[in-house]
Amino acid sequence: MIDHSILLDRLENLVGVTVMALSWFRSYLTDHYQIMNVNSESSVLTKVKCGGKWKNKERVLVFSSRGINFRTRHLMQDLKTMMPHSKADTKMDRKDKLFVVNEVCEIKNCNKCIFFEAKKNMDLYMWVSNVPHGPSAKFLVQNVHTLAELKMTGNCLKGSRPLLSFDPKFDKEPHYALLKELFTQTFSTPQYHPKSQPFVDHVLTFTIADKRIWFRNYQIIEEDASLVEIGPRFVLNLIKIFQGSFGGPTLYENPHFQSPNMCRRLMRMEKAARQKERQMVKEIRLEKRKEVKEVLTEDVTDDVFVTPAEEKPKEVEHEAPRPSKSKKKKKHFQIMAKTGKRQKWR
Amino acid sequence: MADVEMETQMGLDSEEDYGELSDAELQEAFSKGLLKPGLNVPLEEPKKAVNNIEGLKMCLAEFKKNLPWVERLDLTNHPAVDVLAKIEGTLNKKQSSGEIDAEDDFQREMYFYRQAQATVLEALPKLKKLQIPTKRPDDYFAEMAKTDQHMQKVRKKLMQKQMAIEKSEKAKKLREQRKFGKKVQVEVLQKRQKAKKAMMTAVKKYQKGMTDKLDFLEGDQEGKKGSTASKSQMSKKGPNAKRKYKDQKFGFGGKKKGSKWNTKESFNDVSGFRAKTAHGKGGKKFNKGGKKNKRPGKETRRKMKARK
Repeated sequence: MIDHSILLDRLENLVGVTVMALSWFRSYLTDHYQIMNVNSESSVLTKVKCGGKWKNKERVLVFSSRGINFRTRHLMQDLKTMMPHSKADTKMDRKDKLFVVNEVCEIKNCNKCIFFEAKKNMDLYMWVSNVPHGPSAKFLVQNVHTLAELKMTGNCLKGSRPLLSFDPKFDKEPHYALLKELFTQTFSTPQYHPKSQPFVDHVLTFTIADKRIWFRNYQIIEEDASLVEIGPRFVLNLIKIFQGSFGGPTLYENPHFQSPNMCRRLMRMEKAARQKERQMVKEIRLEKRKEVKEVLTEDVTDDVFVTPAEEKPKEVEHEAPRPSKSKKKKKHFQIMAKTGKRQKWR
Repeated sequence: MADVEMETQMGLDSEEDYGELSDAELQEAFSKGLLKPGLNVPLEEPKKAVNNIEGLKMCLAEFKKNLPWVERLDLTNHPAVDVLAKIEGTLNKKQSSGEIDAEDDFQREMYFYRQAQATVLEALPKLKKLQIPTKRPDDYFAEMAKTDQHMQKVRKKLMQKQMAIEKSEKAKKLREQRKFGKKVQVEVLQKRQKAKKAMMTAVKKYQKGMTDKLDFLEGDQEGKKGSTASKSQMSKKGPNAKRKYKDQKFGFGGKKKGSKWNTKESFNDVSGFRAKTAHGKGGKKFNKGGKKNKRPGKETRRKMKARK
């Protein structure tokens, strides 16, 4: 707990902060009021002479495995921007087993972890876990849009605390309730975190639609709740919830989840089936043509109207006969044809 | 399902074990009616997804941190009422029950937006009570999540879009104007031609002596007023005079010989007789209209001058 006047004094004399910057510090630190809220009873408004104490020591480690593409990298960066209580780490080797992640988190002194895993350069999986003993969940991430997209025009302070908004469906099922608690603890910035800003100016929403969890981030512009999207945005498809961190018994398995490999396989099989059908139809047609055709019984009356054809000449002419001179008066046209000029009509 | 039942009775669940069944047992089962004739294939039960509800609840209870709301800032709520849809009457039952159509992009995004709105509306008064500021003062400069450069790019893009829309609108308007202008031009030309034609006919008529009015020379002002009147008059006399003359000359069998000879009636008709003219006394008409200012004679003028 540091007294603000002493702090300002030290800044000016020992650190050598200039007049302009010092006035900024002074304006921020003076005239601060605080209220205490215990069991829904609030105290009297008191002036804050020293900054609030940071009690909720929540730290999130955000990192990934090798083989991620640019979009995932940007997404990770965006999450680190959004969460001032996050830490980064180098990419994990794929050779290591998953429980190594727990050790990495311990080294970094983090108690939550968001780990991105990329498979086949196409599929992105995300683990969210409470590191030492707690539950962990694995998701398939789809439809990723990062902060850098020009269509999302909002902006917020770096490190400001977010409001979290959940769909009421989260309270209906036990697995969703667990996920809600996990998200709340991971994504909410602790109060008085040294890197955080004191203003609340954006809201993160988690909604359940089409059996997936949709994540959006909006900036609060006005008090009347007009919002603009900041980004990033993504869709999470739950795969499994484990009791331990990155392992342990499975608590919940999503019955509607279809792995991306399976999806691709089904599509390919569909195509193959269509091709096969087409081939079969072709073959059947060929078979039909080759079939020996039925010989119908001859009808006596068939020959009634048959007339014998004219005798054709034995010699076949290969060249066309020369045109005979016509007796019509074609003077004008003949002249035209010969001279190629236009003559006056007479 | 009879196959599965049979398997569970025997305590078997795989094909290999099934083959080990002795014939006697099979015959027994067949006689009981459990086995049907034909090839019996063991059915596999569909894989059941793990849903350990008790485990989940226990885990949640252990894991939950009872932090004050200030630390968490989370809310669970339904989306705010869609005012526009209500007004338009397009609010359908599905939406009100909470089912979102994930394929309809616009609806889906609006649902998320409204959910966020509802949260904000609920949370802001709470934050105010806790003295947590939500509005950044104008002189508070701090690092933003997106750099200024990036925001400039965003602004540029928005401007471009707006300009494109404006341009297309202008182009549309121009096209409309041109069409309209063309129409108007055609109309004006036609009008002028009509006016010219009317003028020429009027002149010709005057030349031929059918109308003795020179109204057409007065132009548009009078032409509009008098045109209707003169038109009706012309329609009365115009062709009639010519027709009359021609009828007279050629009608009913041709020229009349002796039409100018006097008859008894015409001889006795003295309506055209003016006595005064005949006697030469209707002089006043032929005068200048009276002496206006007759100049006095030389002597009189001299006398007048002398008097002055």
